[in-house]
Amino acid sequence: MADLLLKVDHLNKDFLAGNGLFSGRFGAKVSAVKDVSFEIARGETLGLVGESGSGKSTTGRCIIRLINPTSGTILMNGQDVARLRGRALKHFRKEVQIVFQDPQASLNPRMTIGEIVCEPLIIHRIGTRGEQIAAAKELLETVGLNPEHINRYPHEFSGGQRQRIGIARALALRPKLIICDEPVSALDVSIQAQVLNLLKNLQDDFGLTYLFIAHDLGVVQHISDRVAVMYLGVIVEIGSVQALYGNPQHPYSRSLLSAIPVPDPKEQKSRHRQLLPGDPPSPIDPPSGCRFRTRCPKVQAICAAQVPELQEVAPGHFCACLLAKPYGL
Amino acid sequence: MSASHDAPLLEVRDLKMYFHTQDGVVKAVDGVSYTLEAGETLGVVGESGSGKSVTVMTIMGLTPMPPGKIHGGDVRFKGQSMLEMTNKQLRDLRGNHIAMIFQDPLSSLNPVQRVGKQVGEGLVLHKGYRKKQAFHRAVELLDMVGIPNAAQRARDYPHQFSGGMRQRAMIAMALACDPEILIADEPTTALDVTIQAQILELMQEMQRLHGTAIIMITHDLGVVADMADYIMVMYAGKPVEYGTTDQIFYNPLHPYTWGLMRSIPKRTLDDDQPLTPIMGNPPSLIDLPEGCAFAPRCPYVAERCSREDPAMVAVEGIHASACFFSDSLDFLQNAPIYDGQRAEEAAAEGAGGRAEEAAAEGAGGHDG
Repeated sequence: MADLLLKVDHLNKDFLAGNGLFSGRFGAKVSAVKDVSFEIARGETLGLVGESGSGKSTTGRCIIRLINPTSGTILMNGQDVARLRGRALKHFRKEVQIVFQDPQASLNPRMTIGEIVCEPLIIHRIGTRGEQIAAAKELLETVGLNPEHINRYPHEFSGGQRQRIGIARALALRPKLIICDEPVSALDVSIQAQVLNLLKNLQDDFGLTYLFIAHDLGVVQHISDRVAVMYLGVIVEIGSVQALYGNPQHPYSRSLLSAIPVPDPKEQKSRHRQLLPGDPPSPIDPPSGCRFRTRCPKVQAICAAQVPELQEVAPGHFCACLLAKPYGL
Repeated sequence: MSASHDAPLLEVRDLKMYFHTQDGVVKAVDGVSYTLEAGETLGVVGESGSGKSVTVMTIMGLTPMPPGKIHGGDVRFKGQSMLEMTNKQLRDLRGNHIAMIFQDPLSSLNPVQRVGKQVGEGLVLHKGYRKKQAFHRAVELLDMVGIPNAAQRARDYPHQFSGGMRQRAMIAMALACDPEILIADEPTTALDVTIQAQILELMQEMQRLHGTAIIMITHDLGVVADMADYIMVMYAGKPVEYGTTDQIFYNPLHPYTWGLMRSIPKRTLDDDQPLTPIMGNPPSLIDLPEGCAFAPRCPYVAERCSREDPAMVAVEGIHASACFFSDSLDFLQNAPIYDGQRAEEAAAEGAGGRAEEAAAEGAGGHDG
């Protein structure tokens, strides 16, 4: 891939289930992220979709090292950041920032928005106090807020405005990569569109790269260049937006796409919804072989025995299904 | 219940519900009207704070009063005013004739009671079942809404259920007494899409089987496109547009409805156009602007809009809009999908069944 920014290779994250005295040694493990590999090119947006519990947020948080991966490598600019510590980790965090889902919970209610936006600059000792305040004002203006409101507190702003503050904070250090973890899920439709447009404009202006995590397939389609679909900790399909939405190969992606109600009554009523039975299984005890097989409409005997790996089904389009036809065969 | 037979199943007329708070009067519901007949689905669409939930809470008599106070209007169930009912009469109605499903199934189920007991509770209260009979029936209901191994799961507590299963249990509970009206307040918002699809399918099937009327409150235009026969769009406590689903989607009249439609990402694959959001934020319901509440955010605002408050006016058949310019064809050229052909198609197809009157008027309406 031309000009690679981030390469995630066989990333695994296990959590320990339960918090008993011996659970650390004997307890069950939840494998939240299992053998996840993908790449993001500079200036690109990779959408990461999946249902709750699919491991998409855990993946994002491993990359920014809010949680430490159990194994695997995360190469950013050729450097493995999965094992960074101390000063090197702090330096790395200048390159990668995150925008959270809930703007109410991710802004300190006792800090003014100026302090919130300045904080990254203070932590990394960039500029004098005056320069920091000037930078904060400029950032607020960049995200469409009035810089005169710099001394106000988060509760004085609406949900959409708070999300803009979160974005301004993420931009403060001029990062290369921003992880957007469900940044518009908590917002009303009309406000959601404002924030999506802002994210797109900022990407053009600052040359940003996004990992865009969301469960709303329409939003992901709008903002992404490529999309990865996760199910129960594994990536089941990854490809360009056109390939994934136009020609989904994995049975899970297909039913996911058929399940979104389309805002067009005629089209919606003529569509065939492919209903998946039941709920996703518990990640404490995932099914053997293909993790999707317990709900898959096309399941076969082989699916229980063999773990499917991502294989190329078309140029740049990968699918982890034993029944998918590999490209070129 | 004694009721006249020609009265609609549910009729809400000019309902006004204000909250009197320290900061001032919040006009949470300000003049909402609709009627609902058996087997119909009404979709209520709007953003947070538009009053869509408070409307149905008021209908159910579940708003706290004070601070709430009804400032006018009426709610009639089969011709009988619900606002004049005693608490006992209301209790007899709720859960029995009108049932409700809430957005968050975890906080609306009792955590210390077995699911089966809660599902059967209405039967004990309203239908004179013994506890054992009710539990037995609850197992059947849980089985009907697709809970696997229902006899055993009925003995579980709500925390042992997944989100989708809790919502199914809520639906089983709501349907226990075979209600005539089911009010669903964002029933799938907290659920994943594949689970949402299961729940919507289930509600449609239950409607087919029992002829239940449904009021579906949601902010998701996809969900109403799927479920609703009629749609009401609300903004700042007031309805701004009402019509059949086809009218709202293919021939929307109100600039706020247009804004909502333009805000959702399009599903075409080569779409690189930026979205057209609605500028600004929804107003505070305490000090609403003079005139049309949407005027400060409306891209087509005229001088008149900030002086006078537009009333809901029927433009063609039942299709009504609260905008001064909804009857101007020039103005309607601004609509996102002003698509005459699509509207005519919809009108032609609707010629049978429920949409008949709408279709007849639709044919005479917009030929320009």
